[in-house]
Amino acid sequence: MEGSSEPLLDAKSKLLDFQWKLGMAVSSDSCRSLKYPYVAVMLKVADDSGQVKKKSFEMTIPQFQNFYRQFKEIAAVIETV
Amino acid sequence: MLLDLSEEHKEHLAFLPQVDSAVVAEFGRIAVEFLRRGSNPKIYEGAARKLSVSSDTVQHGVEGLIYLLTESSKLMISELDFQDSVFVLGFSEELNKLLLQLYLDNRKEIRTILSELAPDLPSYHSLEWRLDVQLASRSLRQQIKPSVTIKLHLNQNGDHNTQVLQTDPATLLHLVQQALEEMKTNHCRRVVRNIK
Repeated sequence: MEGSSEPLLDAKSKLLDFQWKLGMAVSSDSCRSLKYPYVAVMLKVADDSGQVKKKSFEMTIPQFQNFYRQFKEIAAVIETV
Repeated sequence: MLLDLSEEHKEHLAFLPQVDSAVVAEFGRIAVEFLRRGSNPKIYEGAARKLSVSSDTVQHGVEGLIYLLTESSKLMISELDFQDSVFVLGFSEELNKLLLQLYLDNRKEIRTILSELAPDLPSYHSLEWRLDVQLASRSLRQQIKPSVTIKLHLNQNGDHNTQVLQTDPATLLHLVQQALEEMKTNHCRRVVRNIK
């Protein structure tokens, strides 16, 4: 069985917490007037040794919509199992 | 301040009176070159063959010289203290004079090299900032919460690091105002004047 485009998963890590927030950037050092909405995600993951690591990242709205679509697909597949 | 030379160090330096002062001068030149660019063991072998001694003996002699120069330069000992420190080795007056001259000629450059060995903490390179308004989170909807996100660009030993930090504007303003007020105190003014 070939693993063509299978994602490499570290199955021993556990997702402990998933926090999110929706923000709007209104100004930055490079652009004084912005109206840039984004979704920020803060994950708490425990690796197999039990060490807790925090990881945060941001997504633009189109990126978030793509992100959301993945979960919709996962949910749909789980229904069929 | 006198240098405290260990027995092992004195043994290594004992090789120097056994060769010509021209050879010692050459060892001195090699010692400083090794401090500038790192050591090159092949040089020891070449010299060992010419002098009919083991390359270990040559290596110890040169390294002893290097250590003598770096310790003296590090502590910035006076001419008199250097002479007194070397006196205990029982060398000829000619050799003592040569070593003193070697120290005086090279100490400024050696101190510059030694200053580069101090540990390097991250230093400021640049800053990017963004003013955000949080509209909703997993725990609370319908918010209007301002925050400042800062991407700090740092340099350390030639590497470039970034740190992303976030705070509310009130805290940031408070910190900056505190810093600015502190700068206005007499104590800070005096320090800044002396640095300039």
